[in-house]
Amino acid sequence: MSASSAVDPRGPRFAAVVTTVVLAVVLLTGWWPLLAAQTVVFAIGAFVGLRPAPYSVLYRVLVAPRLRPTSEREDAAPLRFAQAVGFVFALVGTVGYAAGLPVLGIVATAFALFAAFLNAAFGFCLGCEMYLLIRRLAPRAEQA
Amino acid sequence: MTGVWVLVGTLVAGLLAGALLARRNGRIRAAGPARAEHALPAPVAAVLDTSATGPAVTLVQLSTTFCAPCRHARAVLGQLAERTDGLRHVELDVTHQPQVAQQLGVLRTPTTLALGPEGDELLRVSGVPKAPELLAALEAHLTRARPTD
Repeated sequence: MSASSAVDPRGPRFAAVVTTVVLAVVLLTGWWPLLAAQTVVFAIGAFVGLRPAPYSVLYRVLVAPRLRPTSEREDAAPLRFAQAVGFVFALVGTVGYAAGLPVLGIVATAFALFAAFLNAAFGFCLGCEMYLLIRRLAPRAEQA
Repeated sequence: MTGVWVLVGTLVAGLLAGALLARRNGRIRAAGPARAEHALPAPVAAVLDTSATGPAVTLVQLSTTFCAPCRHARAVLGQLAERTDGLRHVELDVTHQPQVAQQLGVLRTPTTLALGPEGDELLRVSGVPKAPELLAALEAHLTRARPTD
């Protein structure tokens, strides 16, 4: 894998923490514009790249200068796939809240929060490991 | 108010799932009799060396492009195979052939199958294997002399 497709593994972990907090606030307040913003954040990470993703920018500007540099690198492909999974749930959640279907909004947000929390607390990337399971459930959805 | 309960429920579920996953990571499962007799999917059979000089045990690691811990598993198993006689490590990327994983009943990657000389499944490990435990579980299969007739 090329150097450009690899990232400091602490960046995605930081992003997962921020995502967890944002989704928790969405659940508490039901304020869907915040979920819409999180959907855009997922979309950038999944479809544009991890470097321009807002939370990675935040990590590089605010957090990384305070940490020791690390030579450890993590491949970006699994992380971008996981962002795409997050994007789908956040999008469904946003549509649910905005269309007056709060149950759909809450359930979709809860799923996204579950995955983000597992990553933040345990460093376990649910979307990454469940790739095969997701492929089985949605055989044609993730051809990219 | 609903949101508060859903939030608490989700976080509790997350804690339980996280603890369960951490405990299951690297766990070794013996192959059931049905599994051992099951025909191997062709791509798996293709990587096996069934010749008389082949390894006693082949570790077939199923990976996908989207799997972060697969890299760690590759490092652990590669080193283990390098310093262990009769042990070979092969990585099989199933990103574009999910049916292989389906036939084997594999839901997450990395999952590693330990196969005997004839392709019989000895055991499987889900998650990143722990080298000492895996070696201990394979000891009997590694030391057993290959039938030479």
